[in-house]
Amino acid sequence: MQSAVDTIEKLQIKLTDFAKKHQSDIQDDPAFRQQFLQMCAPLGIDPLVSQKGFWAKTLGVGIGDFYYELSVKVAEVCFATRTKNGGIMAVSEVCDTLNKNKNKNYNNSNSRSKKEQQLYSQNDITIAVKKLSTLGGGFRTIKVGKSDMIVSVPTELDNDHMEIMTLAAAHENGGGGQPSGCITVDDIKQQLRWSNDTGRIDRAISLLLNEGMVWKDDYHGISFYWFPSVWKEKMDIM
Amino acid sequence: MPDGEYPEFYSFPPFFTIQPVEATKEKQLSLWNELIIQYYTIQKLNKILIVHECPLWYNKKIQRKLSKESIDIIMDNLIKSGRGEWIDTESKTTCRILWRKPEELATDIYEWAISSGNIAGGICTIYELHSGEDVHGMSFHGIDEDLLRRALKILEDDGKCTIFKGETSSEDGIKFY
Repeated sequence: MQSAVDTIEKLQIKLTDFAKKHQSDIQDDPAFRQQFLQMCAPLGIDPLVSQKGFWAKTLGVGIGDFYYELSVKVAEVCFATRTKNGGIMAVSEVCDTLNKNKNKNYNNSNSRSKKEQQLYSQNDITIAVKKLSTLGGGFRTIKVGKSDMIVSVPTELDNDHMEIMTLAAAHENGGGGQPSGCITVDDIKQQLRWSNDTGRIDRAISLLLNEGMVWKDDYHGISFYWFPSVWKEKMDIM
Repeated sequence: MPDGEYPEFYSFPPFFTIQPVEATKEKQLSLWNELIIQYYTIQKLNKILIVHECPLWYNKKIQRKLSKESIDIIMDNLIKSGRGEWIDTESKTTCRILWRKPEELATDIYEWAISSGNIAGGICTIYELHSGEDVHGMSFHGIDEDLLRRALKILEDDGKCTIFKGETSSEDGIKFY
């Protein structure tokens, strides 16, 4: 037993040396950062929460601070776009926005700077949102089809809302390479099992509309309901 | 406007349906305002929007078109925001886009007068103020004469300039203090 404890302690020391040596890689390289976090996990170390003490001493500005700062930035981006997307935004979109901003700043301050590079990974963004969620205010990530979305409003989204959103994300709008992200009441009726109840569909849609999570599009006498968050994500991929 | 300069939301189909929810609609109308002002600012010399000819109402790419009622709502909002005014207040077909309000223009002109050394200097003409070589790149370059006069009137009321009658209206002279 004692030897196991010794081993762990030795590993911790090694890890400390490693962290010191690679401090800048941990701060600047998203892939490296993720691997480092994975190395820490089995040793029962969570550098994200140990801001005081061990890691703060080891790393100077701790990696906890890194995520703290990032989560402030994530919150800023989410708030700034809330009136357009009702508080739902794809993790990938937030990630792109922050990487673009950061690269812009780099290029301004240093003309010989590195070319555009990824500074935050989507994984970093997700960790930052987890930190925010502990503060309350409803910050969380949700899974919509294949995408992760950040919700930055306390509005409760129930199963019906989630199903509608997932359907919209999967829905190819009439072929023709148009981005998806929209849905009609008929789509819902045809494709979701619960949906013979028109009142239930109306309730779900009107909550989404009222929250600004969905915008209405009247086209040739049919109402299409668009999720700006889903639409935006697909646009960026195209 | 070149394709790449249209804002992203111009390709968002619901942008062409006036939104039923008030908060969303407010956002939508302010985005339309920005777009109209941006569009007519690029057309430097002619900031006149003719309602039935405005190309913005129709986005061919996504096959979306504003209805007549929607256009009315957007135009009303533009006028209310102080960024546009009807030239024909009765029939409402032609609108002047004020990408700078007269008060803002007055400030711009006065700042220009200071930095270009026109203060307490000679007299410049109305023509020179909107089309002279010295005003290239200024917000009032190429501006409509009516609007320019309104801005100057504001400065005159503030005691910052005097307007002298010239032989023709565009030869009217301005002296800055």
